[in-house]
Amino acid sequence: MPSDRADTRPDIVVTGTGVISPAGLGTARLWEAMAAGKTFFDHPGDDGAPASGLPWPTAVVDTSEIGWPAGRSWANASKYANQSARWAVAVALQALERAGITGETEDVRGGTIMAVASSGDELSDVIPQLASKFRHDSRPLAKFLHDEVPDYSYIRGIPSQLGQFVSMASGFRGSNVAAYGEAAAGGTGALALAVRLLETGELDRVLVVGVGAPLTVTGMAAFDQDEPFGTRATTGAGPFDADRSGTLAGQGAAAILLERADVAVGPALARFLGCEVLAAADLPTAAGLAVDAVLADAAAPPAAWWAHGAGSVRLDRVEAETVLPRVGNLPVTGSKGTIGNAFECSALIDTALAVESLDRGELPPVGLLGRPDPGLTGLDPVIGEARPVPPAATVLLTALNQGAQATAAGALLLAAPGEPAARGRTTDHGEAHA
Amino acid sequence: MTDDTDDILITGMGVVTPIGGDVETFWSANLEGRSGIVREERMDTTGLPCGWTAGLIPEDVKEKVAADHGKPGRSWGDTLMHAAVEQALTDARLDAQPAAEGPAGLVYARVWPGPTGSDPQDYITHMEELAERYDTIGNDPEAVLRNLRRRNLPLETRDLSAYPREIAERLGTAVLPVRLEATCSGGLRAIAEAARLLRSGRARYAVVSAAVSRNTPYVLSQYGQLMALSRWKGDPAQASMPFDVRRTGMVINESAGALVLETAEHAARRGMTQPHALVGGWGLAVDTTHMTAPRVEMIERVMRTALAEAGADLDEVDTVNAHGTSTRLNDVTEARALHKVFGERMADLPVSAVKSLTGHGSAASGVVETVASALTMCRGVVPPVPTCTEPDPACAVRTSLTPEERPVAAVLKNSFGFGGQYASMLLRRPAAPRPAPRHG
Repeated sequence: MPSDRADTRPDIVVTGTGVISPAGLGTARLWEAMAAGKTFFDHPGDDGAPASGLPWPTAVVDTSEIGWPAGRSWANASKYANQSARWAVAVALQALERAGITGETEDVRGGTIMAVASSGDELSDVIPQLASKFRHDSRPLAKFLHDEVPDYSYIRGIPSQLGQFVSMASGFRGSNVAAYGEAAAGGTGALALAVRLLETGELDRVLVVGVGAPLTVTGMAAFDQDEPFGTRATTGAGPFDADRSGTLAGQGAAAILLERADVAVGPALARFLGCEVLAAADLPTAAGLAVDAVLADAAAPPAAWWAHGAGSVRLDRVEAETVLPRVGNLPVTGSKGTIGNAFECSALIDTALAVESLDRGELPPVGLLGRPDPGLTGLDPVIGEARPVPPAATVLLTALNQGAQATAAGALLLAAPGEPAARGRTTDHGEAHA
Repeated sequence: MTDDTDDILITGMGVVTPIGGDVETFWSANLEGRSGIVREERMDTTGLPCGWTAGLIPEDVKEKVAADHGKPGRSWGDTLMHAAVEQALTDARLDAQPAAEGPAGLVYARVWPGPTGSDPQDYITHMEELAERYDTIGNDPEAVLRNLRRRNLPLETRDLSAYPREIAERLGTAVLPVRLEATCSGGLRAIAEAARLLRSGRARYAVVSAAVSRNTPYVLSQYGQLMALSRWKGDPAQASMPFDVRRTGMVINESAGALVLETAEHAARRGMTQPHALVGGWGLAVDTTHMTAPRVEMIERVMRTALAEAGADLDEVDTVNAHGTSTRLNDVTEARALHKVFGERMADLPVSAVKSLTGHGSAASGVVETVASALTMCRGVVPPVPTCTEPDPACAVRTSLTPEERPVAAVLKNSFGFGGQYASMLLRRPAAPRPAPRHG
């Protein structure tokens, strides 16, 4: 990594967070659920088997609390909005409210980034029915689809379309782009992209919103074929457990508002010290490079680690073998034993939770973790009850992409507001202080 | 004179398009006005209100791309991207004059990874399989899963993570990967993102790529719902006619483009002294007043921002490479914005529109048309818009039916898209532009 880049970087702060998770709406609700040792997999029986008929327990979001803004423009726009868009707007509004931004004023120095997969899933049930109907129809296929596919479904499936709604909610008009999960390590790539927009002075604030929408059966089958999902959600199935057998499926959405500290509108909830995503010929190499990149910019070593903690035998091992030699045996936690893996936005959820941990001074325990894997030498997971985070702590977060072909890995570093800056940072438009 | 060490240079280019499977063939077709748009005869378009033509990659080019870059499990879209990237890497001479150590940027836009538009039978087979499954077991999740586990999964669910790894292996270094999407402005945004990566110091060179192959019955039907496609019934080569008074809509194409960007300091260090172009500055914006319709004020904003960020005066712009989709609304809106920005200069400001020959390649168009913009500067010739034979007085942009030789020091390149996406970029001619290759 080129070493001369830290000299002129501005301070970046987190000024808003939002979470929609199986625990409900809000970052605090999820954090407190984790601290209380709750899990949210779909009403498993005593054997931990799922209720859906599918072999994989899933932590499901209750959509009844998720609304759509009132007003004529929102009503007009709603025909272009799918479920992911509704989640994106709802979670964005949480973060904006926390920062005190109403969205009523156009802000060309603000931008939005969506962390998503393709959201065209609304057709997953419709198209098979249409395919069947077409067998007995005399129209050419293109004409048949033109007539029968619900209006606007193509537009609703475009990821950056969600971002346009987030732009409506925020008033941010400077930029809107979507970063796909396949190269973004749970949304870390979207955060890295936001940091570049801020560091280069192109924008003053960026709202990063991720949506991990409910997976279709086909989507779950594809993931499972590539790397098997966990099939039980009982103690022992959680991240870093000796008996873990696969990541548990989840859903959710998260929003992180990043601002340049010198022009921030919202209160600083945490300092955002660094973020990087890399892909390489293999995952361990990429993960090592990503962690090295963020640690190289840190003024002090991290005091806590918020892990990706997929719950997969392979990924948890890669993660532990990457991080522990670099930072020693830090207290480590992770959210996926509580709410499962929300894929495209899992790192954004973890970032919101880590900000909450810095504020509360505690790390919540890892869900469904009973017996830490003795093969992960030096690992110090938080078990049972929350553990204090030292004052002035810096927290390392890591994220890995799922899948046999995937080698993208991300890392980011957060600190409590007012804590020491990263090396060579600036406070005001390039005036360096070491 | 040399380029400033902080400059971001384009040093490698590759394309696979309906008018050429390599840069020189593509450029020749641009100058000769050779269209790649044909009547859509691979599928029955009867009854569709529009969209009876397509920009298709010639069969011989497809065969070569498939033979050289296809492999089991790799989608056609990724195969196209690999083909374009390999051209760009060769053009940048990265093998002979290696890059410095450290990660490379990789910014890419992959449109439509599902059933390919290159062979409509792919989609028909896909539909037949879905119908068979539905008729047998319906949509019951448990039964669907049992069925899926007995067969190969549909194309659109394949793991798409291989591409960054494969590029990392090809370059022999880790990459900073971004797969982005910003509808049809995605290609130009990808170039801006790569340039930003380089400016941030995170990498010293970057690969940008984009590909689209979506001429399927489904995509055609959906653009038909939006009434966005050409309704031209005459010579298909005339179907895409940006700024012509008879234009009726765009023509969807399949295409791919790739670029190598690097800092001037890095290029100089490895002896790359003749780049194709210099990335001056860019403007980006999002509009929320409408989901699909463009707005003059937004186009004006991104063009002015691009000029300001590049530190360029209006007079420095020698030509505009327009988004020019051939829809009624886009072209007149873009033209009005150009008039607002350039005023009286519009009478003598050449405007080109590559989509007149290639059709519209969504995000790939921004990369492919940047290649054309770079060649416009390096070769000193503005390509024609051969289908604009009856210029629309409501647009009043100065297009030409023949190539126009003139020195070009700067090109303003526009790309817009659904969802209120706007991007504009100023490209400059480098101090020592890459000469045309010598033949024979």
